[in-house]
Amino acid sequence: MNRVLGALKATYNFFSGDAILLGAAVLAFAVGWLLAHPLNAPDAVVAVVFVAIIVASLFVTLRREIAGRPRQR
Amino acid sequence: MGLLSGPLVGVLIAAFLASTVEFVEAFTIVLVVGVTVNWKSAFIGMAAATLTLVVLVGVFGTALVIFIPLPVLRTAVGFLLILFGLKWLKKSVLRYAGVKALHDEEAIYEEQQAEMRARGERPSNAIDPFGVVTSYKSVLLEGLEVAFIVITFGSASASSVAARASGITYAAVGAVGALILVAALGAVIRAPLQRVPENTLKFVVGVMLTSFGTFWGGEGIGINWPGEDWFLLALIAFYLLATFVLITWLRPYGKHSAKAAGANEIAAAGEGH
Repeated sequence: MNRVLGALKATYNFFSGDAILLGAAVLAFAVGWLLAHPLNAPDAVVAVVFVAIIVASLFVTLRREIAGRPRQR
Repeated sequence: MGLLSGPLVGVLIAAFLASTVEFVEAFTIVLVVGVTVNWKSAFIGMAAATLTLVVLVGVFGTALVIFIPLPVLRTAVGFLLILFGLKWLKKSVLRYAGVKALHDEEAIYEEQQAEMRARGERPSNAIDPFGVVTSYKSVLLEGLEVAFIVITFGSASASSVAARASGITYAAVGAVGALILVAALGAVIRAPLQRVPENTLKFVVGVMLTSFGTFWGGEGIGINWPGEDWFLLALIAFYLLATFVLITWLRPYGKHSAKAAGANEIAAAGEGH
């Protein structure tokens, strides 16, 4: 069991290693697909939402990295 | 140059840059084995790992190209490239902003060498199993990311099976070019390749992986990008701009200047031994 968990953790670290980035990528694809297919939203809307989620994930994970750090002058 | 060659050239460049970063990191360990044990063991380990990687690319690359439909492949590849790209971008943005210390090959070299000497490894002429395994592991681990990029980039870069196969070839050529360059530089310098701007390369590759991932992933979920392949340039420009904004935002939180970060790592390595 420990080996299975170890292998899963190694795979997770290899591909992402960051739960925020992983969750956001899943969200971007899920929301993008929902907008593009069942909702038939225009391409521009799907593209903007898709890219916005990706960039937002980078912002959120970076914000977590600096949490608690003092801002230097 | 047709429309096809634009992304293929991008594939070649991205594979070359990504491979350069990974091979520079692997070379540091191979160098430690070469200097501390012997070059024979270092090269055997490196050659065996390279062979393993070639087999992986050949088997998985061919299987993906032949058996997986393009829309499914592009969605999966886009997803994975976005994850990889964001991971690399995050690291390089933090390093540029001074929040995280720069990767320092000299410090890593000294640390690894001290570890091997502490194990009792001494220069000899015989093939040393520990030296071979250490060299093999480092090249294989660093090379796995390269193999992944070669397979995914190459297989999703075109629409026909033949063109996708040539996409893998382009990506592999980029990776082999990087290996030859790093090996040649290493053979001449015989020291850790500190002057290779690893963070800049990581940043450029992060932008490229994220852009290609967004493009192919978007196509996979049904987005028709305006201007087709040319829209990749707009995505690259957008991600460059976004990351520059993020670096500027993070800079006041950074405590390392680039030089200080390197010095800190060396000092930390020295204290550890």
